[in-house]
Amino acid sequence: MLQVLLSGLTVGTIYGLVAMAFAIVFYVTKVINFATGQLLMVSILLVSGLVKLGLPDWLGIVTGLVAATVLGVATYFIAVRPVLRFDRFSFAWLVSTLGVAIVIQATFALIYGPASQPFPRGLHAIPVRLGPATLTVQEIVTLAVGLLAIVGWHLVRRYTLLGKLGKAISTDPEIASTVGANVTAFAVGAFAIGGFLAGLAGILVGPITYGNPYLGDTYGIFGFIALMIGGIQRPAAAMGGGLVLGVLSIAANTYIGAQASDWFPFVLVLLVLLLTPNGVFASGDQLRRLFRTRRAYQQGVNA
Amino acid sequence: MSATTQTDALVVEGLSGGYDRFDVVHDIAFRVGCGEAVALLGPNGAGKTTVLRAIMGLLRHRRGRIEIDGTDVVAAPPHRIARGLAAMVPEGRRLFVGQSVEDNLRLGGIRLRGDRARTEELLAGVFELFPVIERYRDREATALSGGEQQMVAIGRMMMADPALMLLDEPSLGLAPLAIADLSAALRRLREQDRSILLVEQRVDIALEVCDRIYVLSGGRIVDEGRASDMGAEGRALIDAYLG
Repeated sequence: MLQVLLSGLTVGTIYGLVAMAFAIVFYVTKVINFATGQLLMVSILLVSGLVKLGLPDWLGIVTGLVAATVLGVATYFIAVRPVLRFDRFSFAWLVSTLGVAIVIQATFALIYGPASQPFPRGLHAIPVRLGPATLTVQEIVTLAVGLLAIVGWHLVRRYTLLGKLGKAISTDPEIASTVGANVTAFAVGAFAIGGFLAGLAGILVGPITYGNPYLGDTYGIFGFIALMIGGIQRPAAAMGGGLVLGVLSIAANTYIGAQASDWFPFVLVLLVLLLTPNGVFASGDQLRRLFRTRRAYQQGVNA
Repeated sequence: MSATTQTDALVVEGLSGGYDRFDVVHDIAFRVGCGEAVALLGPNGAGKTTVLRAIMGLLRHRRGRIEIDGTDVVAAPPHRIARGLAAMVPEGRRLFVGQSVEDNLRLGGIRLRGDRARTEELLAGVFELFPVIERYRDREATALSGGEQQMVAIGRMMMADPALMLLDEPSLGLAPLAIADLSAALRRLREQDRSILLVEQRVDIALEVCDRIYVLSGGRIVDEGRASDMGAEGRALIDAYLG
């Protein structure tokens, strides 16, 4: 039971980091970067390739993270900015970011081939016993990174003027620009953070998945499902959605059948979208609103 | 009247512009002197908001010359113009949703974020002009009444300490009492020698607050004059335009 929970939270943190990458980009630009999953794959395969060439692990990891970040920013300049400059309300980024995803995936498939590439085991080789459950050091680091991502995001958004400016851009970019916000710089920053988080998720999950060019599809889709479960409006909730998805998927694997996590997330997201369309963590607001209207109605009746 | 002097807060010459290559305003020319309050009057659809948006850098298609405090900004993006040249009270206030009154004000002054003392001084100035909103500083700004929200919007503009203040229909949608407060506040700003460009539909407020007025119709300036010269005849003319 504890093992299911801990393993679920670890996997969920990976989904959550990808979901946060989606959500932070969306928060600032109202664009979904469909190449996010591919950025995770890029960091994994670069580490695999560079380590195979004889580079030290840490150099491979740094290169992987930098590449994912740079590719995230490049996606903005290649696939998003031109489209939005042409028409601010265009939805053409749906196709153009997907195009970037396909190009990245095809390029890496061409270079690496479809076979699985080894990934340095690193911290994943060290197990830690926690009562009846076992985690590896890598998994514990993963959980810590997830926690750090949520807390860091919350602190910046809530307590720094820069975070508040980001929130202002999120709600009204035009007026934010009239108080001095460089909206383009914020968009670039969002795509950079998104790329970095996706790359980080790749480094953390690499020892488990190994590298192959089609990982981006899997993690892109699961990250997107986590985003739908948590709610797209708040990046911290997206991480929460990842955790819920992770725990329930591992539980489904354990209690329903070994392949249940292949289909279970889709059932889960359907249920979530049916019951609370704005995500699990927005439902509190909806409940409160419901009670408020009822109370207001009753006060009206009593008056 | 046409001379460009160093002391002008705003000089606009030959300004044309609009949306998607479809011009809304044509060959506009006017000026706001330093410490002067000028009103832009005109009927709905005359292009008043478009002129204001062009000055603030929000209008992508604009040509001609727009000089704020001696700097040509016709090609500058809004976040550059916001660095001390101009600040705006937009039509409909547009406070930052989900943020407190104080955060809205501090965001208005974000260009001065390195200068703590100046920011606190400006904040004190806003609260001195609008004591009401100091009591609500921790409340969510958009939960305030219309009049109070307008005070926050004006305060947000004041926090930037700009060379030129732009106000787009601040009286719109306010209760009569709130409008009285508003015009008192605008007069106070005027007394502090701020350079102000006010777009209004309410001629009485414009004449009360401003030194000079321009009348805009069909995207062109059709009349101008001193507010003090506006007798009953002038008012009737303006009213006819505002129809």
